[in-house]
Amino acid sequence: MTGCNLGFINPLSVLENPGTMAGDFYSRNFEKKAVPGRIILNLGPQHPSTHGVLRVLCELDGEYVARCEPVLGYLHRMHEKMGEVKTPWQFLPNLGRIDYLHPLAWNWAFVGAAEKLAGLTVPPRAEWLRLIGCELNRVGSHLLWWGAFVMDLGGFTPILYAFEEREKINDILQIITGSRLTMSNFRFGGVCADGDSRFFRLIQEFIPYLRERLKMYKGLVTDNVILRRRLEGIGPIDVDMCQRYGATGPILRAAGSPRDTRQDYPYGVYDQVDFPIPTGPVNDSFGRYLVRLVEIETSLSIVEQALKAIPEGPIMMEKAPKVTWKLPAGESYMAVEGARGQICVHLVSDGGQTPYRVKLRAPGFSNLSLFAEAAQGTILADAIAILGSLDLVIPEVDR
Amino acid sequence: MDLSLAIFVQIIAAVLLIIALMVGNAVVMVYMERKVAGFIQRRPGPYEVGPWGTLQAVCDSMKLLAKQLYRPGNVDLILYYLAPITAFFPVLLLFLAIPFGPWLTPLPVNDGIVLILAFAGLGVLSNLLAGWASNNKYSLLGAARAVSQTVAYEIPMILALLAVVLQSGSMDLKRITDQQGQWPWEWNIVLQPLAFFIYLVSLVGETNRAPFDLPEAESELTAGFHTEYSGMGFALFFLSEYANMLLVSFVAAVFFLGGYKGPFADGFWWLFLKAYAVMFFMVWIRWTFPRVRFDQLLNINWKWLLPLGLINLWLTAIIVKIAL
Amino acid sequence: MRDPEKWLSSWRNLGALTLSRHDLAKEGLTVSAFLPPKSLLKAAQELKQARFSLLDVSVLEAAEGFVVTYHFDSLDGPARLALRVLAPKKKPVAPSLWSIFQGAEWHERESADFYGLIFENNPNPIPLLLPDPEEFTSPPPLRKTTPSSIAKLGLLAQAEVLDPDFGELLGLANSPNAQGGSE
Repeated sequence: MTGCNLGFINPLSVLENPGTMAGDFYSRNFEKKAVPGRIILNLGPQHPSTHGVLRVLCELDGEYVARCEPVLGYLHRMHEKMGEVKTPWQFLPNLGRIDYLHPLAWNWAFVGAAEKLAGLTVPPRAEWLRLIGCELNRVGSHLLWWGAFVMDLGGFTPILYAFEEREKINDILQIITGSRLTMSNFRFGGVCADGDSRFFRLIQEFIPYLRERLKMYKGLVTDNVILRRRLEGIGPIDVDMCQRYGATGPILRAAGSPRDTRQDYPYGVYDQVDFPIPTGPVNDSFGRYLVRLVEIETSLSIVEQALKAIPEGPIMMEKAPKVTWKLPAGESYMAVEGARGQICVHLVSDGGQTPYRVKLRAPGFSNLSLFAEAAQGTILADAIAILGSLDLVIPEVDR
Repeated sequence: MDLSLAIFVQIIAAVLLIIALMVGNAVVMVYMERKVAGFIQRRPGPYEVGPWGTLQAVCDSMKLLAKQLYRPGNVDLILYYLAPITAFFPVLLLFLAIPFGPWLTPLPVNDGIVLILAFAGLGVLSNLLAGWASNNKYSLLGAARAVSQTVAYEIPMILALLAVVLQSGSMDLKRITDQQGQWPWEWNIVLQPLAFFIYLVSLVGETNRAPFDLPEAESELTAGFHTEYSGMGFALFFLSEYANMLLVSFVAAVFFLGGYKGPFADGFWWLFLKAYAVMFFMVWIRWTFPRVRFDQLLNINWKWLLPLGLINLWLTAIIVKIAL
Repeated sequence: MRDPEKWLSSWRNLGALTLSRHDLAKEGLTVSAFLPPKSLLKAAQELKQARFSLLDVSVLEAAEGFVVTYHFDSLDGPARLALRVLAPKKKPVAPSLWSIFQGAEWHERESADFYGLIFENNPNPIPLLLPDPEEFTSPPPLRKTTPSSIAKLGLLAQAEVLDPDFGELLGLANSPNAQGGSE
């Protein structure tokens, strides 16, 4: 019972002498610029809407966010160091743990960078299997984002519908990857397992099923008047802002710039499939919402084309790298279109046992960096909506 | 009304029964809320404890009772512990004026609706106290929201009820019930559809339920004004939330849906059936819609419900005047 | 303006130390250049006007110093290119691109965490991914005990070395299109 105050206290009194405020290094740094009389609100790292352990320091003027600053690092695991002390084979499973929603794209970025550096060629069937896995994974990622985003806006139900669909995708991908979350079926020079007849049959059943469900989602959520009022005109992010912050992926496309790594720097067999790049009619949160929903359909059509085009053949190259494989000296830069934007791996090797440098460029990192500017001057609820519309996966941001 | 011993005993008995009703209601509502949510979300809901999970709510309340009362540092002790109590007790009184059956009104008062509206206004005080005393910024923001929201939504609610009062010429809930017939087309909802609609919207706002649950908007304010309450402190807020829901549903049933009257046999079963139908509606929309934004919430009230309520009241007044 | 040759000539005018052409399909870059730190901002400004955005800031510790690589991508089509700055070991300072690309702030803070680099004019030079410097006192995690030389890493394999002093520093031959000693 010590230290309790029996009198009437004023919760705002701490603002008058900020030195008394408890806080850590980051909040003390943030408070230095605070205007007296405003509330400093610490959103997270355990907050329902920060998708994991993001922390956002907000300076609130009433309900308006006068200034905010994301604080990262709560899920930092130093993957770049692990890349330097482990051999490429040992590091490979780490890639699925960087972005748990789109692990196969990260697989592809790292494996692709190593293959570029070593000049390996991948057999066509493996390339198509990679493409199918990556696109299905993207659908799953967008679905889960959709549910979590509506949950940020206060609608509890859609996330369970999204999970139901995502379970089906996981069932499919389990056949070729062996796992349901941190998948990793890419190998240097191919993939580890071939799809059997059940794999292809399940995909063929899944595509029309999801198309049917997407129609329901449109009626249930997209056309909902409350959702629209919450999203339309909120958090406009234009091309200039994307350029200044390096935002890519659906955010850049919603801003109106049709940039997609799959077409700009075709990797794998993406130059053999034909798909449109959706650009947003508007650059606000609703535009980003729509772009992602259209991307689900785009991915489905890519998978459909892949099912027709996939050839028979081996799934690993001949003389595939062994576990003791050493990367040749040099550097390579590989970019892959992840669900959240451009995933890049900058791989430098000096010919030793382990890579010399593995730089992982996470799209979420750049996308989140614009949040402070986008959220400035909005209401707290809108700031949450903007945060959700950026589609953050914090393990990827912190790496 | 002379306070004879009989009436005194009657009130005591009524209060005890009402406490039982409130707790029973919370148990039923927890089960209903979770089962309906499960049905909407295509999952089974609770099914482990007891047949069809019916004992889940009992287990939940046992858990809440057994939980440690965690109190954060630097809270305002008196207000902090007063808040859940002020949330719980005013609701108790409100049920006294509800006519549960033809001969079953705990405390027959002439101006029952005035009593209800007056004490219902006290509920927001507890939110304010809880938010202020918790020494938590989320709670403070939640309390500020709760006050402006509840104050705002009381007005269209009163306007909607007033239209019915004008039409029936009485503030006595029993008389209002008696003026309605047994069959659905004889109820006030037929004569006052607009008032019913306004009341339905504002009761969601008044009870801070989704999509109008801004004071406890979990994606913004974690749990709003009751963020810092655990165990029975939280349970009292929880109880009073469900009791408030039950109360406004009773009022809706009495004013618009014929109260205890119903086809074949009048009685409290009809009142409960109607009230739970309204509550089902509230649960249903909670699990279907996203949450509105705070300024939108107030806009709905001040720009739509209030003018509509006034127009409805004027029309009712004119029609009543002409008809008489 | 996505033509790599134009950028090469532009950087030549800015006093580039080395210029390299890369194979986009194989290395993932079109062109890259080592710039003296003072002309980096000017080059970045030109890139911004030509609708390029900053992809990342990738630091590499070599024996000669910290190679800070800024990767840029165009908003109009495929044209990825890189600018490099060498920050000496004794004074690990690199210019901040924050005034031009605001997104650089985080990339630079991250690199500062990992390598102990200092980015001049970064508006918020506190740790980004690593904790409070008072708690976290170990040396920057990505520092190497035995760094390889730039020549060994093959970064400048097909580089055109314009600045003889720089070429000498890196142990590269002082002639255009010289092969770096990668063996």
